[in-house]
Amino acid sequence: MHEVSIADSLLRIAGQECGKGGFSTIESIKVSIGRASGVMPEALLFAFDAMKAGTIAGGASLVIEEVPVSGHCSDCAADFSVEEAYVLCCPLCGGQAFTLCSGRELHITELEVE
Amino acid sequence: MKLKVVSKILDANERIARENEKLLQDAGVFAINLMSSPGAGKTSLLEKTIRALSGSLKIGVIEGDIAGTDDAERIGALDVPVVQINTGGACHLDANMINEVLQEFPLRDLDMLFIENVGNLVCPAEFKVGEHIKVMILSLAEGHDKPLKYPLMFQESSALIINKMDLAPYIDADPAKIRRDALSLNPSMKIFDVSCRTGEGIDKWTSWLRTLIS
Repeated sequence: MHEVSIADSLLRIAGQECGKGGFSTIESIKVSIGRASGVMPEALLFAFDAMKAGTIAGGASLVIEEVPVSGHCSDCAADFSVEEAYVLCCPLCGGQAFTLCSGRELHITELEVE
Repeated sequence: MKLKVVSKILDANERIARENEKLLQDAGVFAINLMSSPGAGKTSLLEKTIRALSGSLKIGVIEGDIAGTDDAERIGALDVPVVQINTGGACHLDANMINEVLQEFPLRDLDMLFIENVGNLVCPAEFKVGEHIKVMILSLAEGHDKPLKYPLMFQESSALIINKMDLAPYIDADPAKIRRDALSLNPSMKIFDVSCRTGEGIDKWTSWLRTLIS
């Protein structure tokens, strides 16, 4: 359900950025969504399509780039990435001294405007 | 044409959350964002906590629910300031909702503010509201698979209350597995085994709360 708040927020930010540059239409919005961000891409697409009507992004498509969860292990010094939304230990050596490097993203990265 | 933008989608929420945090900090109020599934025992824990601490600490409560005022009435009966927020369908509280009600509290007179979030194990973990820490409750009957199914809330919370421990003899859920998985996700997490029904474990939890503001 909170994909609706996220769609609302991203439409507002995209609208502001578009207006700042003096453009009048948004054709596409590219976002990075980390797998550990708690946001479901399908639900975000659905919310975005439902909420874009009547905004300057009314005809825009939403392009979602999913970012896997990745980390760096201080025990074996390796960089790793995983399929899951969480990391319990380094998948290579089992060490627990790791830092997460990506997976929590919730960013707008690019707009295509006219 | 293409415009490169790097903007956090939740930036507006985070900005208001920082304002709330400053407002609370300046008034000397320690704020706790209390999260769990529906029915895990958030309001029951607050009732027990207020009864245990109201002699020495001044506590305020914000109640977040999709609809209804039952929780605020329960808390109001304990004679502490309480404001009910009805989100009207939204599955979590956000910083703006909190910002709008903070002025209704005598903040300078409070030591601690509990923000009881909407019952939901997913979305509330995403939205900062201006709290100093997040605390979550998992009731034992929800099952020991929850930390790995809903990792974000376990990662974000400073403390985990495992409630309804009095049900342990009657159900198959394994509290040791909950503790193990929660600590793997969040090694610094404080864990309290509690039964709001019997009162078991409430003293350890409230002692820890006192250490947060001393």
